[in-house]
Amino acid sequence: MATPQNELVSLNAPQKLDPFRGVKKLPLEEYFTSGHRTCQGCESALVMKMMVKAAGPRTIVLGSTGCMYVANTTYYSTSWVVPWMHTQLGSSGSAGLGAAAGLKALMRKGKIKQEPINVIAFCGDGGGADMGLSAISATLTHPDYNVLILMYDNESYANTDIQLSGSTPYGAHTTFSPPGKVRRIMHHRWKKNMAGMLAAGHPTCRYVATVCMSYSVSAMNCVRKALSIGGPTFIHSLDPCPKGWDYDPFQSHELGELAVATGIWPLYEVEDGVLKLMGKTKDIAQGRAKRRPVRDYLLRQGRFAHFTDEDLAYFQSKVDEMWERWLVPGVIPFKKQLDESQPPA
Amino acid sequence: MGRLYAVEIVYRGIFQKTLAKNLSRAIVLAAHKEGKPGISFGRYGDSPERNGIPAKSFAIVATDDVTLEEGMAKYEPKEVDITIAVDDTLCKGVESWAWYGLQPINRLLKPGGTIIVTSREEPAALIEMMHRKEHPYRLAIVKAIPSFSGLWVYKDDHTDVRILGAIAKVLPELFSITSLQEVIAAEWKDPVKATSALRAYERTETVTVEPSQGNPEKPYEFEFPRWQEMREGVTIPAIPMGRAVLDADTGKTGGYRPARNPTFKKYTTRSMRPVVDFEKCIKCTLCWLQCPDSCFDVMPDGMYDANMEACCGCGVCEAVCPEANCITMVSETQFRDNASQWDMWKKDKDGYARWVKEHIELHPERSHGFRYRGQYEAQVPEMLSIAREGSDAPAASDAPAQP
Amino acid sequence: MAQTVASVETQHPPREETALITGSEAIAVACKLADVDVITAYPIRPYDTVMQYVAKLVANGELDCEYIVAESEHSQFEIVKHASAVGARVFCGSSGVGWMYAFEALTVTPGLRIPMVAMVGNRALDDPGAFGVEHNDALAVRDLGWQLVWVDSAQEALDTALIAYRVAEDRRIFLPCAISCDGAFLTHSQAIVKIPSAEKVKAFLPPYNRGDLLLHPDNPITVAPQVNEDWLMEIRRQTSSAMERSPGVIREAYADFERIFGRRYGNPFFEEYETDDADVVLVGMGTLSNPVRVAIRELRKEGKKVGFVRIRWFRPFAAEELARSLGRFAAVGVIDRDFSFGSPYMSGVLATEVRTALYPAPKRPALVAFIAGLGGREITVPDVRTMTEKVYQAAEGKPQPATQWIGLRE
Repeated sequence: MATPQNELVSLNAPQKLDPFRGVKKLPLEEYFTSGHRTCQGCESALVMKMMVKAAGPRTIVLGSTGCMYVANTTYYSTSWVVPWMHTQLGSSGSAGLGAAAGLKALMRKGKIKQEPINVIAFCGDGGGADMGLSAISATLTHPDYNVLILMYDNESYANTDIQLSGSTPYGAHTTFSPPGKVRRIMHHRWKKNMAGMLAAGHPTCRYVATVCMSYSVSAMNCVRKALSIGGPTFIHSLDPCPKGWDYDPFQSHELGELAVATGIWPLYEVEDGVLKLMGKTKDIAQGRAKRRPVRDYLLRQGRFAHFTDEDLAYFQSKVDEMWERWLVPGVIPFKKQLDESQPPA
Repeated sequence: MGRLYAVEIVYRGIFQKTLAKNLSRAIVLAAHKEGKPGISFGRYGDSPERNGIPAKSFAIVATDDVTLEEGMAKYEPKEVDITIAVDDTLCKGVESWAWYGLQPINRLLKPGGTIIVTSREEPAALIEMMHRKEHPYRLAIVKAIPSFSGLWVYKDDHTDVRILGAIAKVLPELFSITSLQEVIAAEWKDPVKATSALRAYERTETVTVEPSQGNPEKPYEFEFPRWQEMREGVTIPAIPMGRAVLDADTGKTGGYRPARNPTFKKYTTRSMRPVVDFEKCIKCTLCWLQCPDSCFDVMPDGMYDANMEACCGCGVCEAVCPEANCITMVSETQFRDNASQWDMWKKDKDGYARWVKEHIELHPERSHGFRYRGQYEAQVPEMLSIAREGSDAPAASDAPAQP
Repeated sequence: MAQTVASVETQHPPREETALITGSEAIAVACKLADVDVITAYPIRPYDTVMQYVAKLVANGELDCEYIVAESEHSQFEIVKHASAVGARVFCGSSGVGWMYAFEALTVTPGLRIPMVAMVGNRALDDPGAFGVEHNDALAVRDLGWQLVWVDSAQEALDTALIAYRVAEDRRIFLPCAISCDGAFLTHSQAIVKIPSAEKVKAFLPPYNRGDLLLHPDNPITVAPQVNEDWLMEIRRQTSSAMERSPGVIREAYADFERIFGRRYGNPFFEEYETDDADVVLVGMGTLSNPVRVAIRELRKEGKKVGFVRIRWFRPFAAEELARSLGRFAAVGVIDRDFSFGSPYMSGVLATEVRTALYPAPKRPALVAFIAGLGGREITVPDVRTMTEKVYQAAEGKPQPATQWIGLRE
């Protein structure tokens, strides 16, 4: 175990979860099944399915309020095969920590049998990037507990019929940011960089990753690593949302690929402080693939239908900036070159 | 004692949310032109809507305020004069929530009430899909491809005003075509829409559906437990683990069939279903893997069978399948059951091949939402021309309003 | 002859250790005796001394628990809620607006049937910031399914904490319990406390067994699926049913407590002081009992027959029992160390509840509501005398304002 203060930190052994070796070797078992009241083509539901397929049966899931609460357990019903408990919108960090701490205490004191049990707490972008950020941050500082916090990001508060969050892209149409006669762009904030921020800000957190279910085997392997590495970990998943993004549901898979191919959504993992770009993102970074223009992605979605060429150009420039001027593209926004007004390093 | 009128609009959540809202508001406004007060509301419990999941909107109108009160402070009226189904596949019944069971589309319809359906099917096909009712009712069809768009960009293909025109025809006491046209002029300021309404009014015909006609199947329902019978701590049992599938021919088990939520089957969410040509399948796993609803059963021979009790018709499987024509989404109006396609194929491979070919070729167009900017503008003229089929009115004034 | 405070020794003199500790520390000791599994801390005065004591116990190896410092009260209560769901015995606490910051977590805890035990170091609510005692913080959860009890001594704090675990974790109940300790007077002043032995605690307090509600892979359940109007009323009824069973379980617990620990509390729900022959009584909660008893002894020397009823359990509220007791008197004065702006007659919360309890009773005394001691202002013996005088006037039928603020500069 590579934690610096081994003697002081006592960590229960996590499960040993080797990476899946391709689609044909995936287990058939489902721990999140059908009958949930999600939209046609809901990629966040796909995240739930993959998350627990990767985790296996000895898992407890805590789910904070959001689509993956209300739609999945809608109306006194459930789609979960593994034990699942609701928690509050801003509580994914604290709920995961509590479950992990409870299990640890009971096992240590011999009140229940010793066994590595996965604890996963999930949140949407509303509950993670906005309300629950402090609780997630606190949990990532605790080296003593094995818990994965997974943020499924459909870029809005989707369950309340689509409102903007700190994770909503610039200019997107939501019920709180409708393009109007006087103000076309109501939301001029840029998407928060959750994964990079959490990786940079919690040096004892051993694993942070970004995923997309269009690359599901890779995403599931990130979940397996996050659960088996030990300590608190964080995964940020981008999930196309046919309702909030306004597109024909069959495009869900393709839009995930486009988000990555345009460079808007970089795929990477940070393991014990070492950054590794993944999949198409790595190809782009190493020059084996060109970034597709952002308009190929944006104009497939009704939430950007009001964009002018100006808006598209601005969006493109921000993505270009991320790739061309950030210290670590998609991860760390510090610029490589200082402006004259900046103090020296 | 006055007269209370109730109209329900049954629609595909999100895809037809704006359409339903336009309809229920216009009904109230048109009736109000004639001095009748009314209210318009979406069924509160349907919120938040989800793409495809059936939802309801209501317009309640009365001859006077006191009578109107009868229709208020309710989640849903007990009975309606008119049911509007803006997607013909809704005729198979709606299951909006867990524990609701399968509710027939004509469940709330009064004796002699009318169901108005947007469809390109003939009445006989629709009647076949609808569950039998204990009393006669009427059916009117507004000839159209069911109109789907999304939350932000509305496809203004005149479905709204055409249905309103049909209402004026079947229930003139609710509002007249004249009042309707005044409302259309005020709300949309588009004379072409007023013409569409008038044309629909003129062309609407109804057929009577007798109690002996329709789907004889008894739709499933659930009994709600009493508080003493419910588990404490707001807990319910998890879904059990799935199991391997028994191959009746070989007697061997293999593959995997997930257990499913018994109180919410969700198949009434779909307007299309995947038709699988197993002969073309290369077992790449992608349909099974990428299905957000885990609806594919893995069969003992490694094939993937979309379980029609669970499939909600999103079309992702067709999109990710690498083999041409292996999975094709086909309109639900072409099917009358939820039979397993793998079972059909195993029993009779030649027959199944013919069945697949037939369905893929027939394949009525279904439009499912936004694909690219400018798409609706391109599609609307086509839909307006379908609406004009069989009409005597001139084509000249039918240029759609520019977006 | 005046009784000694709170408890009466029985025939079995306890051979227990004693310590000079505050009410906070007494509760920390109770956590140790109860072998609590998970405790979460967050700083706010005056409750947080309990967490400082807990930290020392953990560091010295006297208490084996997961001790987590949360980053907010909301997280603090969420962490222990979920630890309890997986079967851990938990303890938490807060004061004033800290408790309010946790309010969402507090709201969902009883409905989930989580038997959390929490200490509220009663403190005035901001704004403005003030650290003195008021009861509004704990009272704010009174509708939600929390069991609420007020103590007035460090001994009672320790004993009640053990009783709280026993009652809350009883499978027939499974409702959380908040123990209110007046800030400063109880949290920060030290008194002699008898500490029971671990064996006796073991005999009194069975292990926490969550049964079929346990969140664990061996018991696959979904907890708190989303519901709507077809389900929620039944779920609320279940919580109400648990609260209906609570008084019976409380009585059993106190009876066992006396049997095992040799300390007798009598009626668990309220304590009566000098009421047998009283003409009028005062009613209140918490450490205001101290100046009240002193004043009563003075008044009795002057021939005035005054008594005092100290409410312990505010939830469940022993309405019928209290109405029977108060029906014996010509008038009662209810002292609220809290406010309830805009309430009927602008009375405090306790007065409003007592009035409601009395409404159906065959014999109803006159009732004067007092608001006193807000923000930690001392309730003095002269204040109590003033209140008593007004209650006597009410007994004589002289018209009184329904609610009167005592000790106010006006």
